[in-house]
Amino acid sequence: MKTQKSIPTTKVERSAKFVKTGIQIGGNYIKHYSKKLFNPDMDREQLNEDNATDIYKSLSELKGSALKIAQMLSMDKNILPKSYVDKFSQSQYNAPPLSGPLIVRTFTKNFGKTPENIFDSFNLNSSNAASIGQVHQATLNGKKLAIKIQYPGVGDSISSDLKLVKPFAFRLLGMSERELNIYIKEVEERLLEETDYELEVKRSIEFSEACKNLDHVVFPKYYPEFSGKRIITMDWIDGQHLKEFLQTNPSQELRNKIGQALWDFYNFQQHELRAVHADPHPGNFMITPDENLGVIDFGCIKEMPDDFYYPFFSLISTDVINDKNKTIDAFRKLEMIHKDDSPEQVEFYYRSYREMISLFAKPYTSTSFDFSKPDFFEQLYAYGEKISKMPEFKQARGVKHFIYVNRTNFGLYQILHELKANVQTDTYKPTLEK
Amino acid sequence: MATAQQIRKGYLDYVLTNNEKPKSVYIFAKKLKITEADFYQFFSSFESIEKTIWFELTFETITKIKEQEVWLQYTAREKMLSFFYSYLENLKNERSFVIYSLKHHKSKFSTPDVLAGVKPIFENFAQEIIEEGLGSGELAERRFLSKRYKDALWIQFAFILNFWINDDSEGFEKSDEAIEKGINVTFDLFQHSPIDNLLEYGKFLSRNGKFTEKMRF
Repeated sequence: MKTQKSIPTTKVERSAKFVKTGIQIGGNYIKHYSKKLFNPDMDREQLNEDNATDIYKSLSELKGSALKIAQMLSMDKNILPKSYVDKFSQSQYNAPPLSGPLIVRTFTKNFGKTPENIFDSFNLNSSNAASIGQVHQATLNGKKLAIKIQYPGVGDSISSDLKLVKPFAFRLLGMSERELNIYIKEVEERLLEETDYELEVKRSIEFSEACKNLDHVVFPKYYPEFSGKRIITMDWIDGQHLKEFLQTNPSQELRNKIGQALWDFYNFQQHELRAVHADPHPGNFMITPDENLGVIDFGCIKEMPDDFYYPFFSLISTDVINDKNKTIDAFRKLEMIHKDDSPEQVEFYYRSYREMISLFAKPYTSTSFDFSKPDFFEQLYAYGEKISKMPEFKQARGVKHFIYVNRTNFGLYQILHELKANVQTDTYKPTLEK
Repeated sequence: MATAQQIRKGYLDYVLTNNEKPKSVYIFAKKLKITEADFYQFFSSFESIEKTIWFELTFETITKIKEQEVWLQYTAREKMLSFFYSYLENLKNERSFVIYSLKHHKSKFSTPDVLAGVKPIFENFAQEIIEEGLGSGELAERRFLSKRYKDALWIQFAFILNFWINDDSEGFEKSDEAIEKGINVTFDLFQHSPIDNLLEYGKFLSRNGKFTEKMRF
């Protein structure tokens, strides 16, 4: 199918790219240290540059697919740092599994007891890798549990890797650090939050409580008493990941049901809680045997402050978009149009962003929306393609909140498209009364 | 009558307070209100007190990890990892002493004297594990080289110890990483690897030189 081709490459292809960079960077280190053997005075500058060059190379190859959606909001530039970070978390993905003794050590450090002493059974071999840790299965009082254990030093390596490559990246991309710092910081904050398992347990409990009345959405129970800085214990959720689920050829009815659950889950959070699970990665969901959507990861939460929520969603759910002055006003509040823009620039950005917002808002404009239709996505990509070639979008625009709000919503659209779901889009609408 | 335990405690207290060892056994004995003879009955010198402490810490660790339920299921690699994690856990209780002792007995070229008693028991333990690994096929038997495996582990021992005394990360997390990565690399090298095959191939070619010569076009 034609759309499939233009849609960002599969996960596998993408990770292949990341792995390649990983290997190259490994090579750079070897090069560095072998040179250093003969010339002990050599500093790390050359190494950093080599790394940055390789990262940039693989990023620009990626750009065509993965970053297309990002370009939508002329986020071309401020989304780039995000990709750097993705790459760094990717290098964590590729981390070798933790050894049995280190798992035991992590437990004794956290609870003063070994896993065998806490649980009835504990499988020292991990069942799968989470983004920055690995998952083990255990049982206690006849209940199956999932235990997520974080790799040591993850938080540290995120910040240090970012620091290391940042200046070179800026130079290579021809961007000023000052201009981008605000976005980088946003991304770094979210990423560091993801390494805080204590926070994650707290939020998981809060969010699953707040969302418990949503139809067909289920959450595992969390056990704070067996969770800590590097460990999260929760119920084991049986089920299939999205990909496996789709391979079973589910009925349209079932696709719609799961799609609806996803839509409700995200829009309830955005509009009722004003904070959203900002990682619509297919791996964070399970489709359970009784046809519910299981949500298993609350590591990344984006809170939406009022000064972002109101201007942004007023553009989407009201007729503000039909009033040029009000629209420009909202664009100014969202820093998509700058104070010192000339009248021609104002007009130009007004037209470009208006087109983009109307695309974004399309699912909201009717009571239901069929995400299986390729034309909506083709329009999205065509728009992304168009603006990526415009020199006007070579400079970063838009408030920092866009990074995660976009990632969330376009990620959601993308999953619904894969599901080919037809969903009611008026279940949880933006609420703009203060 | 003083006991070894008292002398040891007194000595620890002294060096950690003054950051140097007492000027002489005489002064130290006087301070503890014991006779010099009491001191020499248990220890021949201040160093021997430190050596004893080191020996005990290491011995305790080895005994403790072998009592774990999972010990028998562990591979050689995991056993070594388990040793280092438990060792640092154990040393944590005496961290000040460890830092004092290693920093005052630094020697660039060889094992510090205070670790003289530790080295043989660690090497014994390491050899035991290596032989197990060689027996089960987990590690590669290499002529001359497999006898040196324990030396590589001793180097790791020294490295990890040094890393840990300079580690200021929360919960000594970086030391955990140093162990996980360092021991894994070391054991990767002990395993069968492409290098072994390459060497085998090289040997084969050199033994069969006449064929390779004929093959030139």
